[in-house]
Amino acid sequence: MNRNPADIGGEAAGPIDPVDHGMKFWEKQANALRNTLTSRKVVRLDELRRAAEELGDRYYRLGYFERTTEAMRNLLLEKGLFTRSELEEKIEQVRGRYAS
Amino acid sequence: MPPRATPSAYTRAPERRFKVGDRVRVKRAHPPGHRRTPAYIRGKKGEIERVCGRFPNPEELAYGFDGEPRRVLYRVRFRQRDVWPGYESPSEDFIEVEIYEHWLEPA
Repeated sequence: MNRNPADIGGEAAGPIDPVDHGMKFWEKQANALRNTLTSRKVVRLDELRRAAEELGDRYYRLGYFERTTEAMRNLLLEKGLFTRSELEEKIEQVRGRYAS
Repeated sequence: MPPRATPSAYTRAPERRFKVGDRVRVKRAHPPGHRRTPAYIRGKKGEIERVCGRFPNPEELAYGFDGEPRRVLYRVRFRQRDVWPGYESPSEDFIEVEIYEHWLEPA
């Protein structure tokens, strides 16, 4: 049976963490980018959901914002908005800013 | 300035297969891909509670297509004891799930 990792209705949920952990700075930035991409129709919310489901086992190993951000990266690569090497180059640039 | 609201994708659904009160059964199928019908409700029988309208098909939108033809979305009411094995309650409890027409067949 092909059951996607988000489709868990009816399964034992375990204890619920009632603490509001707030949002880290990068989480707010990632969320803003995600909202901008959907409101400008660069990607569809349905595509982002599908990309998250395609993370498979990683879906559960990642935190909420890690999961949605990784799905967003995979989708933008799939759509060819940038290449993997362009992304890596940019990451190095940004990392350099913090190192200095 | 308030955030710009995303316009609804709702359109009316004058042509449709089911009407309010019709008994329906959710298809018991498990195709791969992005599906919006939860696994726990597949194969269960319920009743059309309302017609929500026609919407672009999310199963197509999920792969970058335009979602046409649009699909009729219904809210379907199920008895909890028809959904969960061993469900016990002194009252008659229901669960309502929004399901697209292509996932429903007459019961």
